[in-house]
Amino acid sequence: MEKAAANSRREFLEHLLSGAATATVLMVFGPEVSAKHTYGHSKTKHEYAYVIDVKNCIGCGNCVRACKRENAVPARVFRTWVERYVVTHEGVYIDSPDGALMGFEAVNAEFRADARRSHTVPKMCNHCGNPPCVQVCPVGATFRTPGGFVLVDPEHCIGCGYCVQACPYGARFINPDKKIADKCTWCYHRVKNGKLPACVIVCPYKARFFGDLKDPESTVTKFFDKDKWMVLRPEMNTEPYCFYLGLPREVK
Amino acid sequence: MAELTSKSHLKRLGVLLVAGLIGFLVIKSMAKPSSWNDEGWFREDVLGELERQPIVYGGNESCRTCHKDANKELRKRRHRGLSCESCHGALADHVKDDKKFADAKVDKSRWQCENCHMWRINRPKRYPQFTLEVEKHKWIKEGKVCLKCHGAHDPTP
Repeated sequence: MEKAAANSRREFLEHLLSGAATATVLMVFGPEVSAKHTYGHSKTKHEYAYVIDVKNCIGCGNCVRACKRENAVPARVFRTWVERYVVTHEGVYIDSPDGALMGFEAVNAEFRADARRSHTVPKMCNHCGNPPCVQVCPVGATFRTPGGFVLVDPEHCIGCGYCVQACPYGARFINPDKKIADKCTWCYHRVKNGKLPACVIVCPYKARFFGDLKDPESTVTKFFDKDKWMVLRPEMNTEPYCFYLGLPREVK
Repeated sequence: MAELTSKSHLKRLGVLLVAGLIGFLVIKSMAKPSSWNDEGWFREDVLGELERQPIVYGGNESCRTCHKDANKELRKRRHRGLSCESCHGALADHVKDDKKFADAKVDKSRWQCENCHMWRINRPKRYPQFTLEVEKHKWIKEGKVCLKCHGAHDPTP
């Protein structure tokens, strides 16, 4: 009995040592597991990206109206919307009346006196390089194309809503008419036919840009190269392809 | 009935397994779309289906194909950078199969101007905005249209 116990202890220590050695070898020489950044280095022909310049957004809602019309988005749901942040001494006030479909009303005088700064921030699907919505889809209905569009297959979607919950940006919704998941497509039908997305062409004050990172002359590549951009929720490791310029620190 | 041996249960299990495997492969081949992309895990046909969605906004270059004179003139105006369709309405409401079927509607109300140019706390300081407290605007009555004094294409103050 005593002998057996001694043996098992020796075995245990041997196993422990060999396990520790294997783990060390794996950590040093093993596969790369940390988050990787592939911006501008994908092996595909195109690598589309979107740039939103918060400093230029005037909150007119032209983009929201154009998106609604272009994609026949039903009332009360939005593929893109604009949020207004008013930073005061008491806290940050955020509003987005009907997604800024008809712009913004003036804030009242009390706010105006107290406000330190204020911004309008357009939001939409970030077309992540590592999209959580694609991972959770149980039927393979949502996917990322080689060009970087995250799209929904309307024939396969069963409307379970997992992707709506998985999106950290709140960019997805269940279409009340079609009863399937719906979201911004970066106007896939327009881009493939040589046009820019509808929200980009109607923007009056150069707050929205779209282009191909593989094209060295495109506007987005120039913004990208300047390295002054931010993405929403970088801690989620979603690798968004929507780059924000002048993003206020309150915006998540 | 066949004679039972010590191995007959294994045979039955084997037959069941093979039948199950065949059934699985048959159902899989029927359920899997023919254009399935194993790498991206999606149906490739859907790309073509989504691409065929009709285009509603044509962009300024589509306006230029017919309104050449207007376009040349507008190039000198202040609002030249704007999209025609953001005020005049989408191309699909105006043209169908390269032919005009309805007049482009322009919203000439005050809302159209104020939506972009009324003073708002969130707007950049360098952006032209007005309030009703501006000296020239003080006498403006409720319901007066901006376009009475300002040109829509070149609303220089």
